[in-house]
Amino acid sequence: MAVMQTTSTTPLPRPRTLIHPGRFNPVRIQSLHARSARHVRLLLTPGRSLYQSLVEPLLALGIRNASTTILGGYFARLQYCVAPPDPTGQAVIAYTRPIDAGSTYMVFGNATLGLGMNGRPLVHCHAAIRTESGAVKGGHILTEASTVGPTPIPVLVTSLDEFELRQAYDPETNIPLLQPHKGDRHV
Amino acid sequence: MSEAIVETGSMGRVAYARIAPNEDLVLGVEKLCIAEGFRNAFVRGALGSLTDACLGTQDGKFIQIKGPAVEIVSLAGEVRSGSDGSMRAALTGVVADTDGNVHGGPFVAGSNPICMTFEVTLEEWLPASVL
Repeated sequence: MAVMQTTSTTPLPRPRTLIHPGRFNPVRIQSLHARSARHVRLLLTPGRSLYQSLVEPLLALGIRNASTTILGGYFARLQYCVAPPDPTGQAVIAYTRPIDAGSTYMVFGNATLGLGMNGRPLVHCHAAIRTESGAVKGGHILTEASTVGPTPIPVLVTSLDEFELRQAYDPETNIPLLQPHKGDRHV
Repeated sequence: MSEAIVETGSMGRVAYARIAPNEDLVLGVEKLCIAEGFRNAFVRGALGSLTDACLGTQDGKFIQIKGPAVEIVSLAGEVRSGSDGSMRAALTGVVADTDGNVHGGPFVAGSNPICMTFEVTLEEWLPASVL
């Protein structure tokens, strides 16, 4: 059998392995699956927050856990933050204070719906946006501080019906994170 | 002129995973498919952060975006199993650096370590036939 060898003049960067503050969890991929997904097309309601306009119609359908794709649209206002290193060292990174993007076009967004540690639905959303100044930016969207603009925004929802996504404290990274759990659907 | 390749099929199971820090984005998605028994899949949703991002360019080189953290703000892709017994994810997307500036391209396998978490939903693809 021939031995193939390839060489490159531009070696790829060596990935950095960061040391997190907490104890290493030997389980690196926490995953669950359902037999099939339900799909829903949803329109975000003008004038309401991204959080309300996503969570309320899905709860009405009995959907508490989902992965959603926001297919682009205008927001009357939008706030986001980015994640530089944490100066206190409590975690590897810390979100910045909210950045006001003003009247914003969301180019593309992904939002995960699960259950927060406070018992309320949690929406974790990252998106690429064009801010009021015209700059194209990206980051973590503050869904309760972002208001849908005058035109409804379509969202494709992939419902996760046979397990739950719950926010729980993650000792390794020292922050709360969404994680899949087998359990009662209606708690 | 090459013939178009069209594959018909249907969607099967759906999986959600949280992949932990220091795992590679692309290889992690491949291992997730192995863990869940998926042979082919499409990404249905994904978000999270990378320590640093490495995106391929057309000349076979790459661009590196330094973090931490580089936020994944858009991701699409698929996973395919090969005839050599391997699993291969092809992921493309947009990332935001620590100033919120965006960069896009294909994620280079082995060079995109996860920073805090990576959440991904995969839908299994069950090919019926290749036309």
